[in-house]
Amino acid sequence: MWKDLIDLLFQAYENFGFLPLFIQVAFALIILALAATIVAYSSILVRRYKAYVHEKRMNFITPKIEDLITEQVLLNEQLSMGVPIDEIQFDKKALSDKIYKKLWVRQALIDTIVQYRKNFRGEVGELLRKLYIDMGLTNDSFEKLKTMKWERKVKALTEFSQMDIQISDVTVLPMTNSPNPILRATARNAYVQLSKNEPFKFFDIATEPLLPWDQLELFKIITTTKDIVIPNFSRWISYSGNKSIVSFCLKLIEHYDQKTAIPAVMDLLNSKDHYFRAEAIACLGKLSAEIAEVRLVKIYEHQPLICQVEILRAIGNIASGKYLEFLKHELMYSTSFDIRMAATRAIINHDSDEAREVIREIMSTTYEENRIIIKHCLNPLIKN
Amino acid sequence: MANILVVEDDEIMLKAVKNILSKDGYNVILAKNGKEAFEKLENADYDLVLSDLMMPYANGLEVISRLKNDPAKRHIGIIIVSSVGNEETITEAFRLGADDYLKKPIMAGELLIRIRKLLTNKAVRQSL
Repeated sequence: MWKDLIDLLFQAYENFGFLPLFIQVAFALIILALAATIVAYSSILVRRYKAYVHEKRMNFITPKIEDLITEQVLLNEQLSMGVPIDEIQFDKKALSDKIYKKLWVRQALIDTIVQYRKNFRGEVGELLRKLYIDMGLTNDSFEKLKTMKWERKVKALTEFSQMDIQISDVTVLPMTNSPNPILRATARNAYVQLSKNEPFKFFDIATEPLLPWDQLELFKIITTTKDIVIPNFSRWISYSGNKSIVSFCLKLIEHYDQKTAIPAVMDLLNSKDHYFRAEAIACLGKLSAEIAEVRLVKIYEHQPLICQVEILRAIGNIASGKYLEFLKHELMYSTSFDIRMAATRAIINHDSDEAREVIREIMSTTYEENRIIIKHCLNPLIKN
Repeated sequence: MANILVVEDDEIMLKAVKNILSKDGYNVILAKNGKEAFEKLENADYDLVLSDLMMPYANGLEVISRLKNDPAKRHIGIIIVSSVGNEETITEAFRLGADDYLKKPIMAGELLIRIRKLLTNKAVRQSL
């Protein structure tokens, strides 16, 4: 039977060249589809098998790891007796169990400790860190950092950040400028958290952009990490060629209310990028930079709408009272709805008798649409 | 021995909290989500509920709301343990009737103190 089949295939192969072209093409496509199906199914089977093995292994090891953490950390008697964390001794026999020598078990152990650290701080958090160090898991994380695979590097950096383990600048700094956006963002976040002396050093070498979402993450890390040394961000405003870094520094200057940065921010008003200029104007407003008001009013006429609106908002935030007439003029005579809204809000933001008088005066003299704008802006239930 | 229901979808946290509270002498019952918590609340009497906010099926706010709107269970104290830190959600939790709030990552010692304080206050209120 097999011989017949082989003969048939051999015959088909010999005659293949004499078949019409469309039959040849159809035949080739059938072979290709069969091969692709076999490869796809094999790949699915291999993946499923791997997942099955992983699940089986996890089911076996997870209770053991949880028991270890429960006994050595959560229910540690020395912890409840008030022994300092550094002096607490773990049960060496439990830690030196042969099973914890296996690579996959050690990774499962790291993952579990990291997960616990996310949920616990204070003494339990510190003891988890000690367990991680005492079991030599730091070396496992370092090994991952040395590989070429970016996913493993990201994993290692996350582990170091979670366990608060310091890494040398030489190792992390190059990764903060990696072309891979995920590795870059993780390395930057880790660097800020772990570098105790100069957490913002990577701003100096960053040529790759700091993406908006990464800015949010980094901002959260900077503003929530304890004992972080906050530098004067104006130095990057003046010298960094990376626009996203400058933009991010403007936000940090606003957040930390760094008034010493006002001259550097004012220099940005000469930038040719409208959006960049608008950000600088907004920053000056948030810093209540009264010194910048004259300049803002002076450049107002030649600015695009986005910058004009920001200038009006900034004058409202600075609220010196010197430019109420200017704001009144913009509210009454501007043809742009956005300008009139921004001018009205800026006058109201002044929150002074003079400003209230200006509003009363405009209400009695202006036309209906402006009155509606003023009423809208005066409504405390409507947020800006 | 006080009965405490811990509602949490993160299994690691669930077991860890159980171990910490059991060590301190509490009788701990676990629920992996709000729906499971409702079932357990129907079947037994509890002194305190420790609940996460973000959970599948029914979230922590629904747990508080259901508990505080039930006259028979209104007396049960609720402590929210969550990584959600925005003011609106916390305010909403307190408005619905939560007694305390702990932000993750938590400190085991602080959790125990707050539980003890809440249970003591409750006992004092009941004795008056």
